Amino acid sequence: MHLGDLVYLSLHNLFLHKARSLLTSLGVIFGVGSVIAMLGISGGAKKKALDQIGSMGIDNIILYAKELDKFSKKDSNENIKTYIKSYGLTDSDRANILAMDNIKRISNARNARVSILKGINRTNIDLFWVSQNFAQDAKCQVIQGRWFTPPDHKGAKKVCVIGKNVKRRLFGIGEKEILGRTIRAGDILFEIVGVLENIKGTKLESVDSLNDSIYIPEQTGLSFFSKLKGSTHVDHDLFIVKVKSLAHIDHTAKRIRSLLEKSHPKKDWGITVPIQLLKQAEATQNLFTLVMGSIAGISLLVGGIGIMNIMLANVYERRKEIGTRRAIGAQKKDILLQFLVETVLLTMIGGGLGIGLGIGLTALITHLSEMPAVISPWSIIGSIAVSTIVGIVFGTYPAWQAANQNPIEALKAE
Amino acid sequence: MERNSKEIIRLVQIEKIYRLKTLEVPVLCGVNLSIQKGEFVGIMGTSGSGKSTLLNILGLLDNPTKGDYFLDGEKVVHLSDKHLAQLRNQKIGYIFQSFHLSPHLSVEKNIEVPMVYARTSPKIRKQKARELADRVKLSHRLGHRPTELSGGECQRIAIARALINHPSYLLADEPTGNLDEKTGTAIIQLFRELHQEHRVTIVMVTHNPELESEFDRVIHLRDGQVVENIVKTRL
Repeated sequence: MHLGDLVYLSLHNLFLHKARSLLTSLGVIFGVGSVIAMLGISGGAKKKALDQIGSMGIDNIILYAKELDKFSKKDSNENIKTYIKSYGLTDSDRANILAMDNIKRISNARNARVSILKGINRTNIDLFWVSQNFAQDAKCQVIQGRWFTPPDHKGAKKVCVIGKNVKRRLFGIGEKEILGRTIRAGDILFEIVGVLENIKGTKLESVDSLNDSIYIPEQTGLSFFSKLKGSTHVDHDLFIVKVKSLAHIDHTAKRIRSLLEKSHPKKDWGITVPIQLLKQAEATQNLFTLVMGSIAGISLLVGGIGIMNIMLANVYERRKEIGTRRAIGAQKKDILLQFLVETVLLTMIGGGLGIGLGIGLTALITHLSEMPAVISPWSIIGSIAVSTIVGIVFGTYPAWQAANQNPIEALKAE
Repeated sequence: MERNSKEIIRLVQIEKIYRLKTLEVPVLCGVNLSIQKGEFVGIMGTSGSGKSTLLNILGLLDNPTKGDYFLDGEKVVHLSDKHLAQLRNQKIGYIFQSFHLSPHLSVEKNIEVPMVYARTSPKIRKQKARELADRVKLSHRLGHRPTELSGGECQRIAIARALINHPSYLLADEPTGNLDEKTGTAIIQLFRELHQEHRVTIVMVTHNPELESEFDRVIHLRDGQVVENIVKTRL
């Protein structure tokens, strides 16, 4: 029997009982549909997470200051004695880390802890003084104006670069030309020289969103804001440590950690290694995919068993046809293929409908929850392959049963 | 063994014994039979005479327990399933009591089925199916489904289907059993025409004594043996 004849006959039989075929393949339709939707959504979530982590810079190690709980008893006792509240990353930490192998440079930032005024109102916008390479190491682009020049740093110039969201928060929507305008921080006016953007909207520990802050040169900050209220003293809020070789980043992170553990027993610091987070996120995602794959596998198994059941009933129902075909020249192989092709086509059509359902579901979920979704071509190719395999696995036994019907008995069947 | 070149079927000492647990039931006990090309033979017998078993053996659906079966000079007992299927497809044209057409395929597709298994090209199948539909006077029904046809028309389609691969002989099992008398007579008339005009060899198994007069030769079976072999000469 030619393949064309097999396919024609199988499709003919499937379309003869449209409702039954549809109901039979429902298991595969929903199985494949849910797999596509889940993979799409988890793929989207994964991409978003990886993008965000990646945007912190995979060759960076991020260190940040943590203000310890003010109401901690032990702490306040000590503070009563010393009356000096000092925490965070220090200049000597910076020097010690820079002295290690595999360190390319450190960019640092310090919150000036000063109010930014809009008119006469205070805002919650933070002002940071940052080192020269900060914008580059924090993966920010200057989208308007310029970044600080060495003379800005040396001369402690009163200039600032603002995050792109600050523009909207401090000025009206209609304001286009903001370069050259001034921002008031505490008692000091700063001239805006540039606008920067981090495309992924990355949030760093103790800086929050890079797009929502204002930056001034380090020397400027030290000149105007280094003295804080009371006796609090902080050198640095954030280090972005750039390594030379990514291969040894884990080791470097470990050494920095042990260094800080010795010099800061009170744990007034934290560390984030984006590449480690990235690996963790990937591992979590892979586990998630595996779990979902198993659930999908079970639903396909159940769907497949349903199909096998119906096909067995189908064989019983069509014994007379089988007997007739055998009598007029069909070989066992022909009968086997007829039923197998019918089952495989059924599951493939089910798989196709399932892909449609999955894409629809993904679109619906994305629309309703604004979760990003990525439907990879592999999940579609995989679905077609899996539904074909389900057809072969669960179609073989009924087809074998059909092929091995005794033609004499089958001819007598009603 | 000497063989007449016109001999299509030769059965030699065919025995068939069914084994039911401890019981052995002999159904055919040494049947010898020879059928020549162009004969129109009736195999008759009452129920339980073994004619269904003989039919299955002749139709290559069942193997005899003992004995030999030569079809067109080829020994055809104990062959592989594949080989038997090919022989059924090429050498035997089956006609059943209840037609056994596929109810959901068109008349044309039904006639084509044996050629589908012979892997004949669709073009030739179509042409041949149309020719045969014309021969059984149903070319106006090609697009219909068997469920839309009368019993007599269905049996004509089944006959067309049986003829499509130019078999060595037609093997008909009570072909008029499901038809009223008038339609039955018309079907027998069609067999006669095929036999006389196209020299088709026909073996018909029936228990209907009224058909006895239609055959060239009548073989009576009783208790698994050939008891009468009457050759008639027609005027």
